[in-house]
Amino acid sequence: MQHRDCDIAIVGGGGAGLRAAIAAAEQARSDRRPQRIALLSKVYPMRSHTVAAEGGAAAVTSPDDTLQAHFDDTVAGGDWLVEQGVADYFVRHAHRELVQMERWGCPWSRKDDGSVQVRRFGGMKTARTWFAADKTGFHMLHTLFQTSLKYPEIERLDEYFVLDLAVCDGAVAGIIALEVATGELTLLRARSVILATGGAGRLFRFNTNAGIVTGDGMAIAYRHGVPLRDMEFVQYHPTGLPGSGILITEACRGEGGILLNKDGYRYLQDYGLGPETPLGQPQNKYMELGPRDKLSQAFWQEQQAGRTGTFAGSDVVYLDLRHLGEAFLHERLPFICELAKAYINVDPVREPIPIRPAVHYTMGGIETGSQCETSVTGLFAAGECASVGLHGANRLGSNSLTELLVFGRLAGEQASLRAAETTFADMRALEEQADGQRTKLARLCDGRGSENWVQLKRELVQAMESGCGIYRTEDGMSHALQTVRRLRERYREIRVGDTSKVYNTELLECIELGFGLDIAEATCLGALERCESRGAHQRLDEGMRERDDARYLQHSQVFHRHDGPAELRWQEVDTRVSAPAARVYGDAGKGSRP
Amino acid sequence: MTTKQISIRRYLPERDDAPFWQPFEVPVDDSTSLLDALHHVKESLDSSLSYRWSCRMAICGSCGVMVNGIPKLGCNTFLREYDAEIRIEPLAHFPVRRDLVVDMEIFLEHLAAVKPYLIDDAQQQEATETYRQTPQQLARYRQFSNCINCGLCYSACPQFGLNPEFLGPAALTLAHRYNLDSRDRGKAQRMPELNRHDGVWSCTFVGFCSQVCPKHVDPAAAVNQGKVESAKHTLIALFKG
Amino acid sequence: MHKPPRAHPPLPRNWWLKHRFFIAYMAREATVLPLVFFIACLLAGTVALLRGPDAWQSWLGFMRSPPVVALNALALAASLYHAWTFFQLFPRVMPLRLGKRAVPASLMVAGQWAGVLAVLLLFVWLFGRA
Repeated sequence: MQHRDCDIAIVGGGGAGLRAAIAAAEQARSDRRPQRIALLSKVYPMRSHTVAAEGGAAAVTSPDDTLQAHFDDTVAGGDWLVEQGVADYFVRHAHRELVQMERWGCPWSRKDDGSVQVRRFGGMKTARTWFAADKTGFHMLHTLFQTSLKYPEIERLDEYFVLDLAVCDGAVAGIIALEVATGELTLLRARSVILATGGAGRLFRFNTNAGIVTGDGMAIAYRHGVPLRDMEFVQYHPTGLPGSGILITEACRGEGGILLNKDGYRYLQDYGLGPETPLGQPQNKYMELGPRDKLSQAFWQEQQAGRTGTFAGSDVVYLDLRHLGEAFLHERLPFICELAKAYINVDPVREPIPIRPAVHYTMGGIETGSQCETSVTGLFAAGECASVGLHGANRLGSNSLTELLVFGRLAGEQASLRAAETTFADMRALEEQADGQRTKLARLCDGRGSENWVQLKRELVQAMESGCGIYRTEDGMSHALQTVRRLRERYREIRVGDTSKVYNTELLECIELGFGLDIAEATCLGALERCESRGAHQRLDEGMRERDDARYLQHSQVFHRHDGPAELRWQEVDTRVSAPAARVYGDAGKGSRP
Repeated sequence: MTTKQISIRRYLPERDDAPFWQPFEVPVDDSTSLLDALHHVKESLDSSLSYRWSCRMAICGSCGVMVNGIPKLGCNTFLREYDAEIRIEPLAHFPVRRDLVVDMEIFLEHLAAVKPYLIDDAQQQEATETYRQTPQQLARYRQFSNCINCGLCYSACPQFGLNPEFLGPAALTLAHRYNLDSRDRGKAQRMPELNRHDGVWSCTFVGFCSQVCPKHVDPAAAVNQGKVESAKHTLIALFKG
Repeated sequence: MHKPPRAHPPLPRNWWLKHRFFIAYMAREATVLPLVFFIACLLAGTVALLRGPDAWQSWLGFMRSPPVVALNALALAASLYHAWTFFQLFPRVMPLRLGKRAVPASLMVAGQWAGVLAVLLLFVWLFGRA
């Protein structure tokens, strides 16, 4: 076993992890405190899923926009399950972070005068989304990765798979990881740890996420007693490609794309998003620029009414971009043109793109306070893996890229400060925990067991899709929960056929599946217990089809129990600034403040 | 559903000293990518097969392999395009770790060597304003900023194959991308790396790197524009004494 | 760290035979061979001119021999092939901008061929009347 020490360990090399690493390095430098930062990731940082974000990052930019408006959009978009103090901090720091990205070289799209261009996005009152063509996440990730190379104090441990945290007396003490290239265990002692491991979209069969988005960090924190919060809120992005689920950005609609059913009718006007806006004149918060949850729900309704088309065996509606013209599409949405052509052989210049909703984002996650610290001292979380409370019941598009900058930075700074006031834990105590992991691994790899991981994984994603879809029922969710619990039992007998050390990717799949099963239980439990409809959680059960603030204006918290079913509690929501109101879009929203 | 045969060059360092070829029969339809086929092999035929992958939409750069001797991304290579045999090998010119997984460390070292970040010593800490950059200034380097670091160009480059110390197409393109950026003042710091024998001058403009680039970055153009810059830089230095 | 030492696989000598793109590249590089022969002929002619009429006549005879004509025809073809490859590459190495717009590569290639045509016409005008 390798032993190493560092001051701050960051797990995850995506946008939040890289931003945190740079922030920690800057914080340590400005305090004249030499600190070593280890950045661990199971893939090379530029492979992280931030790379696939397309549309943009939100911040109040134009003179006629206000912080209050961004705050209101975010709170209403999250159906009032947003921590309002957190949202306030977020909107106030958003612009600063995007400017910082620009100063690091991010190639934001520009206006003729050389200032940064903004575009419209769903659920936002005005155009405030910065973008780099339709590869914003890609450019942000590479800018952050390249900038991180400036800091010798950031030591990257690429292709290290984190198995567990080491915790001593309620405080984090380090990390136990597997070096994928050699199969060797590494015990990394640290004074503070940041989890930035991304979401858990791969729990669902049909999703827009990369294969690595398996919720590892969530499960690791959860197993150490940190609650997972608001896990029932799973975002379906309304526009994924049929078959693969590959993301077709919301920016298509921001730039004026329209959604049609099989009869060529703009059906969104029937779902409280109208009246129909003229072609080529998209209007914020109307029609195609409604929030993602509403649009995905409208698809489901159309599907039930038999007004969807079919493409390659999938029910689809159509995203029509043709009126935008070839030159505009190739300038603003080149990646979309490329993806549609390659994966479904459709040229958006000439044909509408068949699309359908796909699981996209995990609103919930590791519960943190407003300073990104969890209930385990010295353990921080930021980005999609965390639930700092920004997104509530539904995230607005282009808030997440900004989130990972604002809260990645905050987590990095806080972790640096925390590390400065903490001493290393005793190595012997940590070695014991690492030995425990070694025993677990050895048991997993002994080549015995009878359960096939592929089969288990398929049953899991199928159960989640049918039980925790766009619309949910008591029966569906209980069935999913029962299935997940049975799968957790069966997982004890899982068989890893490959017993080698070097790049044993089968072993990693099995460990990820174990993480996923824990999170799936939390998701199903949260969904089942929330007997109302709010944001992305919509129930068809009688008496639960509306929002119920009297009983459920609360966060769900799910706690892991080692030898029994997970436990759910409710937690108060911060609604100091904006009292819950009806969440309305289109003409119905006219005059209401948000 | 029809099937096709793919042959994969396997290498299991803990079991065998040498690589071997293994054929697999995989189901295909019109949309089956090579990555889908690899998944099928791993999930249904031989779980010991190792390969890298992630986004499956040609943006993360993980899944580069050789397909019939040509470097390609597994996720945007479709089996419908192949009639006869399909031979899959790990990316050329890199040491193989296992099966289709290669050692990318040297690639990362080369990237880091060219200082691929914006350098502006006049920049104040915590600026509140962005730089101004017109769309025309952006257009000068935009194409070169689209590199996804997949490494296909290194497998296409015989000069890198002959001399792994050659900085190679992606790293030199990245250096050029920052040199062309109107916001950057770091060219003088990057040129010494580019001027070296293992910098731009190891390139003989074979041009295959640009042919295989899945993002149309045209690294060959960037490297050879770098030669022009390097020549200018050397001449100016000569006159300045 | 127990990663195995880095062993870069050696490139086999016949690497350039594995793909037609590499063969075309080698052909481009090989155009220098007939061109060297052509330059040598030209130098020999200059020397012959200095040596006097006999040497000049024998050089003319040498130049008329079929293998030499064939080799020089090859040199002409090689230089045209090289020009063709060079002209394709030129716009990528020296991208030009006129005002706000990039000059299209096809226009630059066409411009270079127009230059070749101009040189040929000049040549015909200078020597064609003799």
